[in-house]
Amino acid sequence: MDTVETVKTVGSPTPTHAGAGRRIITIAGNTFREAVRDRVLYNLVLFVLILTAAAVFIGELSGGQERKIIIDLGLSAMLLFGVFIAIFVGVGLVYKEIERRTVYAIFSKPVGRGEFLVGKYLGLCLTLLVNVVVMGAGVSLALIYVTRGWNPLALTIWPAILLIYVELMVLTGVALLFSSFSSPALSALLTFFVFIIGHFSADLKSLANSMGGSAARWLFAGLYYLLPNLSNLTFITPAAHGQLPAAGNVAVVILYSLIYVLVILAAATVIFRRRNFK
Amino acid sequence: MKLNDSKRDAALLLTVLLGLASVVALSRWLDDHRPPVDTKVQEEQLYLNGATARRISLGFNGLAADWYWMRSLQYVGRKIVAVPGDVQIDSLGQLNLKLLAPLLDNATTLDPQFLEPYQYAAIVLPDVDRAEAIRITKKGIAANPGVWRLYQHLGYIYWQQKDFQAAADAYDQGSKLPGVPAWMLGMKAKMAVEGGSRDLAREIYQRMYEQAGDRQVQEMARRRLMQLDSMDQREGLDKILSSVKTKTGRCPSSWKEIEPVLRALRVNVDPGGTPLDPSGTAYLLRTAECDTAIDPSSQVPVR
Repeated sequence: MDTVETVKTVGSPTPTHAGAGRRIITIAGNTFREAVRDRVLYNLVLFVLILTAAAVFIGELSGGQERKIIIDLGLSAMLLFGVFIAIFVGVGLVYKEIERRTVYAIFSKPVGRGEFLVGKYLGLCLTLLVNVVVMGAGVSLALIYVTRGWNPLALTIWPAILLIYVELMVLTGVALLFSSFSSPALSALLTFFVFIIGHFSADLKSLANSMGGSAARWLFAGLYYLLPNLSNLTFITPAAHGQLPAAGNVAVVILYSLIYVLVILAAATVIFRRRNFK
Repeated sequence: MKLNDSKRDAALLLTVLLGLASVVALSRWLDDHRPPVDTKVQEEQLYLNGATARRISLGFNGLAADWYWMRSLQYVGRKIVAVPGDVQIDSLGQLNLKLLAPLLDNATTLDPQFLEPYQYAAIVLPDVDRAEAIRITKKGIAANPGVWRLYQHLGYIYWQQKDFQAAADAYDQGSKLPGVPAWMLGMKAKMAVEGGSRDLAREIYQRMYEQAGDRQVQEMARRRLMQLDSMDQREGLDKILSSVKTKTGRCPSSWKEIEPVLRALRVNVDPGGTPLDPSGTAYLLRTAECDTAIDPSSQVPVR
């Protein structure tokens, strides 16, 4: 069942706020099913293979540092795979519907443009959540395997996993924003740039501070505040040493990211509403 | 139709198999005919320094640090394997390990809380580049001021250098940290009073053996402990040989001659009456010098 068929069953003659939640959930569920059907979760197999190989062989190569390396490797792979999914699936969320012309059928029903985008976004976030949770469980099990018993790191890595997930949520939003007005290839490229620049935020700030001219200073300062600061969400390396992030910091970082996602989705909706699908 | 399909599948499968076999054969030929790598190129400096590597690691700095760490181990391992005979990892000066310091430096810059590279720098690097060993260990202390083990590593480097005052200072600073083990408290005084003594060396290697996370380091400490025990044993055996020579006017021609004395003094001997070193290998009797020597095949380091 594709998006059109699903929405047909829940739609009412005119979009109402009361039914918005239900429509968004329906679109999200459908997006999730579509991702599963597109074998997006097959990356888990590769992930499991990497972790298994690491757990078995890394002990010989790491000089007794297998626990740290399994966490670094597992969480880095989780982030990298997630980024690829967020980018390559995210940029196709809207484009595929337009290309298949199913979007015309959807918007002939009482479905708002914003509802459509939010539903698509939440559907991919759900896919990423399943991905991240399964991968996180895999890393915890690998840790238990290499220590031949319970290891507290199997639990203490989860705040870092939460932050990875939040980073993927932000990137999914960015991919959706670009795909609302651009081609998939360009959207993927732009989203990847945002991922890279998002990890260079500290450099943007120091560039802004070191610039003499006020225009350049404003430009870099503007970029620093405009682009998502993804380095705030990076906690893989400390997690490998068993450190936990401060709860207050995590709360603020999550709030920052959620507001950022809200802004992106609002901007994407504004752009998407201007597109003619009639 | 079906027969044709099967034939086509079989032909394709055969192509895949033959292709793979050719690829393997060609790879082997290329491996065999590859010109030897210029050692200057092989030992070329690293392209990236730690700070740049950290900047471009995009949040994967922990993984990059692991990679540099494993590369350090492989680099040292390859050099050791290439050298004939037994080499201790704390005396690798002759192996020309000029990439080791930059590799460990990058690993610790990428992940300043990664403690194993600091230990490796403290134990392996001094014989290669002592100044770098001290710099990297001090960098570790600056990044992890609450970790007493780093002060232990720094004290070890200075102790090896026979700078007992600097070693005492390092142990003293480490001993002021919370959670430090009791033995660290006494190290400052011991270092100042008996810096070059065998007992202190034994204590240092014993602690290193107990705390080492790396098997190579642990093995090095174990062998150094055996070496210290062997020094005590050889001194004892040399005294016995000397007293026999004084009494009889000649050095015993074999261990068998003094077996009863050795057994009476509870020296560890094999069934033939030859004394054994801490690794279980028989000691050699050098009749010309009338003293004891370690068998070259023994695990006990000579140097």
